[in-house]
Amino acid sequence: MAAAFTPRKLDCKDLHSYLKTLPSPVLDRLYNHPATCLAVFRELPDLGRQYVMRTLFVEQPVSQAVIGQWVNNKFINDHRYACKALTELRVWYEQPIPGGQPGWVLNQTFRNNTRVALLGGGKPWIGGRSTTVDKYAKDILFLDKYAQERWECVLHFMVGSSEGIEGVSRDIIEVLNNSGLMRVDATDPNPTITPAGFQFLLMDTASQVWYFMLQYLETVEHRGMDLVECLSFLFQLSFSTLGQDYTTDGMSESQLKFLQHLREFGLVYQRKRKSQRYYPTCLAINLASGLSNVSTGQEKTGFIIVETNYRVYAYTDSPLKIALLAIFCDMLYRFPTMVVCNLSRTSVREALIRGITAEQILNFLRSHAHPKMLADTPVLPPTITDQVRLWELERDRLKFNDGVLYSQFNSQADYELLSDYAKDLGVLVWENATKRVMVVTKSGHDDVKKFWKRQKNS
Amino acid sequence: MGKRDKRDKEERKAKKAKREEIEYEEEDTQDVNVKDGVPESATRHAEELEQAAEDEFGAKDFRKSLELKPDHASRPLFIGPNGHIFLESFSPVYKHAHDFLIAISEPVCRPEHIHEYKLTPYSLYAAVSVGLQTTDIIEYLRRLCKTSLPDGIIEFIKLCTLSYGKVKLVLKHNRYYVESQYPEVLQKLLKDPVIQDCRKRDEMDEAGDDQFIAGEVSGTTGENGEPVPDDIHDFYTKIDNEEEDEDEAQLKTVSFEVKQENIETIQKRCIELEYPLLAEYDFRNDTINPDINMDLKPSTVLRPYQEKSLRKMFGNGRARSGVIVLPCGAGKTLVGVTAACTVRKRCLALATSGVAVEQWRSQFKMWSTIDDNLICRFTSDAKDKPMGCSVCISTYSMLAHSTKRSWEAEKMMEWLQSQEWGIMLLDEVQTIPAKMFRRVLTIVNAHCKLGLTATLVREDDKIADLNFLIGPKLYEANWMELQNNGFIAKVQCAEVWCPMTPEFYREYLQMKSMKKLLLYAMNPNKFQACQFLIRYHERRNDKIIVFADNVFALKHYAITLNKPYLYGPTSQGERLQILQNFQHNPKVNTIFVSKVADTSFDLPEANVLIQISAHGGSRRQEAQRLGRILRAKKGAVAEEYNAFFYSLVSQDTMEMQYSLKRQRFLVNQGYSYKVITKLAGMDEEENICYRSKEDQVGLLQKVLAATDTDAEEEGVPGASGSGMVRRTGNMSSMSGADDALYMEYKKKSGNAHPLFKRFRR
Repeated sequence: MAAAFTPRKLDCKDLHSYLKTLPSPVLDRLYNHPATCLAVFRELPDLGRQYVMRTLFVEQPVSQAVIGQWVNNKFINDHRYACKALTELRVWYEQPIPGGQPGWVLNQTFRNNTRVALLGGGKPWIGGRSTTVDKYAKDILFLDKYAQERWECVLHFMVGSSEGIEGVSRDIIEVLNNSGLMRVDATDPNPTITPAGFQFLLMDTASQVWYFMLQYLETVEHRGMDLVECLSFLFQLSFSTLGQDYTTDGMSESQLKFLQHLREFGLVYQRKRKSQRYYPTCLAINLASGLSNVSTGQEKTGFIIVETNYRVYAYTDSPLKIALLAIFCDMLYRFPTMVVCNLSRTSVREALIRGITAEQILNFLRSHAHPKMLADTPVLPPTITDQVRLWELERDRLKFNDGVLYSQFNSQADYELLSDYAKDLGVLVWENATKRVMVVTKSGHDDVKKFWKRQKNS
Repeated sequence: MGKRDKRDKEERKAKKAKREEIEYEEEDTQDVNVKDGVPESATRHAEELEQAAEDEFGAKDFRKSLELKPDHASRPLFIGPNGHIFLESFSPVYKHAHDFLIAISEPVCRPEHIHEYKLTPYSLYAAVSVGLQTTDIIEYLRRLCKTSLPDGIIEFIKLCTLSYGKVKLVLKHNRYYVESQYPEVLQKLLKDPVIQDCRKRDEMDEAGDDQFIAGEVSGTTGENGEPVPDDIHDFYTKIDNEEEDEDEAQLKTVSFEVKQENIETIQKRCIELEYPLLAEYDFRNDTINPDINMDLKPSTVLRPYQEKSLRKMFGNGRARSGVIVLPCGAGKTLVGVTAACTVRKRCLALATSGVAVEQWRSQFKMWSTIDDNLICRFTSDAKDKPMGCSVCISTYSMLAHSTKRSWEAEKMMEWLQSQEWGIMLLDEVQTIPAKMFRRVLTIVNAHCKLGLTATLVREDDKIADLNFLIGPKLYEANWMELQNNGFIAKVQCAEVWCPMTPEFYREYLQMKSMKKLLLYAMNPNKFQACQFLIRYHERRNDKIIVFADNVFALKHYAITLNKPYLYGPTSQGERLQILQNFQHNPKVNTIFVSKVADTSFDLPEANVLIQISAHGGSRRQEAQRLGRILRAKKGAVAEEYNAFFYSLVSQDTMEMQYSLKRQRFLVNQGYSYKVITKLAGMDEEENICYRSKEDQVGLLQKVLAATDTDAEEEGVPGASGSGMVRRTGNMSSMSGADDALYMEYKKKSGNAHPLFKRFRR
């Protein structure tokens, strides 16, 4: 019962936990490309990276005991964690050493391709840079703007504001629906946003893109595309240079299709569908690099001022940001470059009912705080943080205990007998002597029932 | 808004004006209806001017009507077409903008980063009366604003300011004159039949209605033809200097005399005609009234904000009437004393209670060089010899007393009325009911009136009355600024949530009468929290005041905890004794007081305040109470907070809503309340009362046995001077038959014969 009040928190996996879920053959195939190996290697725990480096050129299994000795006993937990990570990702697997003792050996494909990644050699990645000069060359500024516009288009669509309707393709809508961020009602042709969707909106851009891509990758197989190819392309993209154009030569059919999708999300820029070259944008490049630490420094300067009197001032013209604020604030006035709004109990409760948590609201305010606010510690006034949390807490002040109701006793004596028994056992939750009803905890129900049957029979 | 709507509105307005006229004629006989006395333009709100569309989120969208300036980042203001102004406190020109906004608008809220102000007719009226010109106001706003000025606002400012400040009411030789630099304005006024009636004419110039008394007066020059400099800073200093500028230019003025008894009538009428009378007093050129030998002591140092507020009052070398708003504990009394010392004429100071009168007297002696026997107190307890005195201190109720007085008091009143007072100081001006106030102001003649208050809010919104009874608001200090500069204590405000015990809550839900209040005031958890907080702070050697509006709760708490208490019926002597003990006796660290101590009890030592029960949702009371601990403490910089304000609230009761409302004023001043749901260490504390169920049930029985009158709050504190409290009660409670119950059973009317039914009708 109580679970119904605590909304499901949006689970945003990092790269590690995502790869963990893939079956091992897929992982093995994934390691066929140096780019993936390097990306995985980067995301390993520090000790894990150390082990890989040490065993990279050791072709036979290494005793587990030996590896254990590399680490001071104080850090045994770190050691265990690193070993677990390496095993889960199938970077290495167990193999007994000649003496019969347990040992670890690096995954051969991983070993080979990591060597290539670290030492160089092999084929050029992602078809390589284009050899000719682009007549319509784009600079970084343009790409950033393009990426942001495309991505905000998606978010706009989610908020349901008018500006996001055109330019959102069926594929995107499908991903949004599949991931549970939006939902299609029978009555309304346009999908509506879900609690998970609201939580999604309050995340920062990098996590949003990553979450979205994870959801997208889950649908890849249905579209008849190869997951491994897409993933390895994605990882290669993340090692490309911003502002550099790349050619589509030598890409497989499935990768070309994938490229078109990435173009829709704003991860790459392609002037025309048939164009032979494309530019990766910052969204794609940041994708694999900053995953494990969710907060990214690339967020622009904040714009929100929160006052102790529950006023919120936001220096922005962006309809998206205003729409986000409107989720949990009462909007009062809108000036050019500034909006005035109010945090109130009702407005926050509305957001809570939609499944957003107080922590998410506060986190949003904190991460977008105006530079003037950042000068103070804590950033948000403590009264505001306290109050928003209290508003959340007051929604579940009722405690629920499962129980079994006993009623319709034939006589007062029966009632007293049973209630005394339950009281002695300490399982009585509630009783009302005048109405002859009582509630017994679920765990105590069996005992009380048995006792009652014995009484009736005797 | 369609055209027709507009026309409708105008018609309605015209009708309204007519109605006012009619009412006005009857007004002299009956009690004055306050709302009608407000000038026509003042009833207009800037909000009516705006017609902004709402955007998709329900916010008022001003973007279409406002044009952003290219260099908006360096300008500090947003001005909405509805008169709301937002000021960035982090802007480099904040200081200038702030001073200017204080002069022309009402502060709505002033927390840390962005302040909100509002343009109102009264605030603009105040701006004009301190010497700002319409064009200056608009020009300066234009410079400060990030966007173009909304047209509606320009119009609104013009509307509210052009006619203001043109006519003055002057007291000369104990006779009142209406004076103006604009003869055509006076002509217009005199066309009005009501004003004609009020005019006092000598038999000689019966023939010539239009003859004014011509005179010359020194004043500031209004015109200033020089081109305005570009920079905001320069412009402000110009405005700032202008008002102190003592340009001895001779301006022609015209005037006519007014009958003294009709002063209020003419004041009201002029406001209705949109020419409010400004009251100014040229005390330096007043040779009729003797100067008093009274100066500030050389050791007296004024704080910057006190000086600033006085500069507003004496800006052009004359004394303006008006209200100065300073937080409690920020030295309002000193401002009053300084004003009296500046005018150096006979001075009448009015306070709310006998204790406050004593405090005023000691303050006069502390700050100024005035001789002791020149001060006279006029209260029910102390009637000093009035003759030849130059500073008289009394209470409002004493002056407004309308029933029979003692012979001595009668003589005193006669003397008071015969005098022409130079300045009248009105303390805690917001607490006084408008009716009583009016009496006081009509009984005594004063050249200039200075109102002092901490909180210019009233729940009944009668605060606007002050604007024409005394004058505009001259200055309002920023609480947070004073706190940061160490002029007032740094207060940690906390709201302690005390859950109702199940037994009390059950009764609370079933109870319908006033006793609900008693139940949440006596909540055992609240009692425990109170006891714990007292112990905790006594250990820190703090001085604690506990407030309880409800006398039953007050007594019960105080007696159970064995602490002295003080409420309405406590005699003056006992009061002073308790207060003195609290100040000097290290064994008395806690006192319990009722709402008599809300205002003007100066307790400089107290630094902890616990509020058990309060008067509904009164914002003013909350601020006043906070004021009791605001006086700056020694070693103020050492700790983060040096004063504590706890408000104990019973959870899930009416109190929660009340407290939300009460806090609004202080929250708008930038204070923040910390919510405490659990007091750390309370469970470990020994010997806390009402821990056991039995004790709690016992307490509940006691509460249930209490009568309804116990549950009522105490009477009005202002009445305490007369020593009598009038309260409504029924016959049975007067005769002591509260507990006896007689039921009257009415027969069902259905049983009655139809014939009887008809007879009844």
